[in-house]
Amino acid sequence: MKTKFFICVFFTFFLLGGCVSVTKKVPNFYDIEIGKFSSSIRLLLDDVSYLKQEVLKVNAKKPSIQRILSQADLYWGKKELKNANAELERALRISKDESALYLRLAHLRLEQGLKKESQAFASRGLLNQEASSWEILLLKIYSSPKY
Amino acid sequence: MKYYFKPFLYICIFTFLVVIVAYVSLLDSRVTNKLDGVLWTVPAKVYSRPLELAEGSRINLNNLIRELDLLSYEKIKTNPKSPGEYSLKDNNLSIFIRGFDDQVPGLFALDIKNGEIKGIKRRDGISLDLIKLEPLSIGGIYPAHNQDRILLNWSQVPDDLVQIILLVEDKNFFNHRGLSFKSIFRAFLRNTRSLSIEEGGSTITQQLAKSLFFSPRQTLRRKMKEALAAILIELHYSKQEILLAYINDVFIAQSGKRAIHGFGLASQFFFGTSLENLDTEQMALLVGMLKGPSIYNPNRNPGKAKKRRDLVLKILFDGSLIQEDNFLEFKKRPLKVMQPTYKSLTRHAAFSDLVTLDLKRNFKDSDLRTKGLKIFTNLDPLIQKLLEESLIQTKKELQVKYGNTLNELEGAAIVIDTFSGEIKAAVGSTEPQSYGFNRALNASRPVGSLIKPFIYLSALSKYDSYTLVTPLDDSKLTVPIQGNEVWEPNNFDKEFHGIVPLHKALWQSYNIATARLGLELDHSSIQETFKNLGIEKKVPEYPSVFVGAFEMTPMEVIQAYQTISSGGFFSPLNSVREVRGTKEELSISYPYKLEQRFRPEPIFLLKFILEQTFVRGTARGYSLKLIEKWKVGGKTGTSDDQRDSWFIGYAGEYLALVWLGFDDNRKSPLTGRSGSLQVWKKFISNLDPLTIETRKPSRIIYEWIDLEDGLLSGKKCEGSLKIPFISGTEPKVVPDKRKWCREKEDSRTSKVVDKIKEMIEIKRQ
Repeated sequence: MKTKFFICVFFTFFLLGGCVSVTKKVPNFYDIEIGKFSSSIRLLLDDVSYLKQEVLKVNAKKPSIQRILSQADLYWGKKELKNANAELERALRISKDESALYLRLAHLRLEQGLKKESQAFASRGLLNQEASSWEILLLKIYSSPKY
Repeated sequence: MKYYFKPFLYICIFTFLVVIVAYVSLLDSRVTNKLDGVLWTVPAKVYSRPLELAEGSRINLNNLIRELDLLSYEKIKTNPKSPGEYSLKDNNLSIFIRGFDDQVPGLFALDIKNGEIKGIKRRDGISLDLIKLEPLSIGGIYPAHNQDRILLNWSQVPDDLVQIILLVEDKNFFNHRGLSFKSIFRAFLRNTRSLSIEEGGSTITQQLAKSLFFSPRQTLRRKMKEALAAILIELHYSKQEILLAYINDVFIAQSGKRAIHGFGLASQFFFGTSLENLDTEQMALLVGMLKGPSIYNPNRNPGKAKKRRDLVLKILFDGSLIQEDNFLEFKKRPLKVMQPTYKSLTRHAAFSDLVTLDLKRNFKDSDLRTKGLKIFTNLDPLIQKLLEESLIQTKKELQVKYGNTLNELEGAAIVIDTFSGEIKAAVGSTEPQSYGFNRALNASRPVGSLIKPFIYLSALSKYDSYTLVTPLDDSKLTVPIQGNEVWEPNNFDKEFHGIVPLHKALWQSYNIATARLGLELDHSSIQETFKNLGIEKKVPEYPSVFVGAFEMTPMEVIQAYQTISSGGFFSPLNSVREVRGTKEELSISYPYKLEQRFRPEPIFLLKFILEQTFVRGTARGYSLKLIEKWKVGGKTGTSDDQRDSWFIGYAGEYLALVWLGFDDNRKSPLTGRSGSLQVWKKFISNLDPLTIETRKPSRIIYEWIDLEDGLLSGKKCEGSLKIPFISGTEPKVVPDKRKWCREKEDSRTSKVVDKIKEMIEIKRQ
């Protein structure tokens, strides 16, 4: 009887411990310094074109914003930066809580040589409550002094 | 005598011929000059921002309805059938959009639930994710003659319109050379019979000549000149060119000082849409108005205008241009024209000033007046309307309360988007439609306590030295200034409050504590803060500046607070979004400009205090529910002797500033709270803005703090408040007298958390 009780207690603690470790598997990137990330993440820091690829993979949550994003990406692909920017800002007027917009604007400003603005858009994006951990990580890269 | 007569006659004939030839040449040159050049001078059109409705985005349904009303959409009970109609059943809004830019006109159904657009469907049931309402036309930048027009090319002129014009105005247009003797003879007979001028025999070319060069007076001399000019026009230009010039130039209506020329503008003016979207009966109305632009103006004389329209429809039916069933159906339709939205040249004088100022950085005045630019501004027509109404209404209420002393009270107000610095509305007077001194832009006045948050921001930026609970001394202060003179600031309540925590000193707006804080800080750090907030002026090195002896215009104040309300991101204020010209070099867009001027943490702390202004400070009065809903924060300001009443505050995504005072700087009974705050509250309550949820900076933690001593406290302890700190700067001491109530809270929640933490630690080891 005693053994059974101990086994039950052990399993309960085991499950609790498991639950705790699951939550720990999702670190809050916002609190981690960029330099402490793994080497694969470091690639984002060293290769701007790779970073851009990753940014362009980030989708908007709302379909309407995604449609505008696609149009902006199309312009961007054709090097029509002014039109791409106009579309992104249009989307931002509709919805200010889409990290995909801040990321693209940060990269677009970087391509336009506006480093301070790029950092500002990224930092502003970091205040977005809806941002996922991956989006936060990318935004942190743009807001870091390296870029 | 005979000998001299003949040469004299020849000289006279020769001179006469020379004069005639000279006159014809002069007229000819005027005709070609005008038709080649001056006719095509088109004033800039100024528009508000277009409202985009996106699936999944949040919306205030009431505000959307109010915007539709502003755009002269008509609410009907059945399903909308024609452009400019909408219906609302439960949460389903059906709008027949008029169309603008790339937005095609048509019927769209919006499903709106819980303040969110859940779906948008076209008439055929196909789902869409985005539609756009046309922007409101708010005015123009006109040449001296105030003629306004929209130039059309042939592809933009519907065939139906051409046929209606020809049938009604000049059936033989393609057969004559400028003059139609048949028409002149017919008109002559009719006018002789009635002994008055009932009918004109003018061809379209003559009408064009009259419109371009001559006065509307019907004299024989003018008629002869007109005929001559018509012949010259026919000699120089093709029939198609003449007809297009006529369609673009003919005078159709007068709206205040603004003269509406051409069918392109008339279509926008009366129906709010472009010519190609008009139905036959709408075109018939416009063509019918040519006979008497004033008599047949549908806004002034709807009865006569309808009769005239129906007569034109009858001519179309008789001329086999429409079938009988169409004729009967068109006749049944009401006129349905938009009411003129503004009588002056521009609708919102103060906002238009800002637009002109912004544009003059990139455009020559002549380009603005003649090149037909389309100027898309950031004006939100609903916000502008509510702001104007709030200012007017509050002035009336204050007059009732304080009497005639406030008859000459003036005011200014500005609303911006906190994120982008886009100016959404501006009012420069308590009579918003009147032109004159634009106080929003030009009234430089002492800002009173509005300056205090800048001093506190300088302090909070020094993390190690100042927190929200740093004790400040609000006892008597004497500062020697010059010789034996001293400066002794007073609080508004004329009392001293001893040692007070920093946050309380600001939300209670204590002057003495603030002056001491300003004196403690070095001047260069204050100057740096001002500069980062976008204040270009040098901050004088005398202490009274810290309590508001510093003059700023409303525009300068709202720029400074934009940086605070947006979380430390500076965006220059801007009124224009985009300018579209017919040529590439005249098209300019104004992209967002964003610069992080402050770390988010000190701004977060400052915004906490500005929120407390509403919870327990000088702007108290709102329920906690509303404070939480709109995420409000703000500051009152009153200058010496209550000469200026200020309030600035953010709610949702907007920052609004209000100033009230007299132009001659006399005393008023108003404080920031009793005056400007009332305008602000009325405006925000009417607008009910949407909010944006933002994340708190990761280095911010909260602690329960005692309001009096600024040391640690607990939720259950009396007089305590949960206050943010930058991690590591929070107080560490819990006074013995409050240990019991802090532990009480700990025992309920913290102990469980601590136990779990302990377990995790054990597991890791």
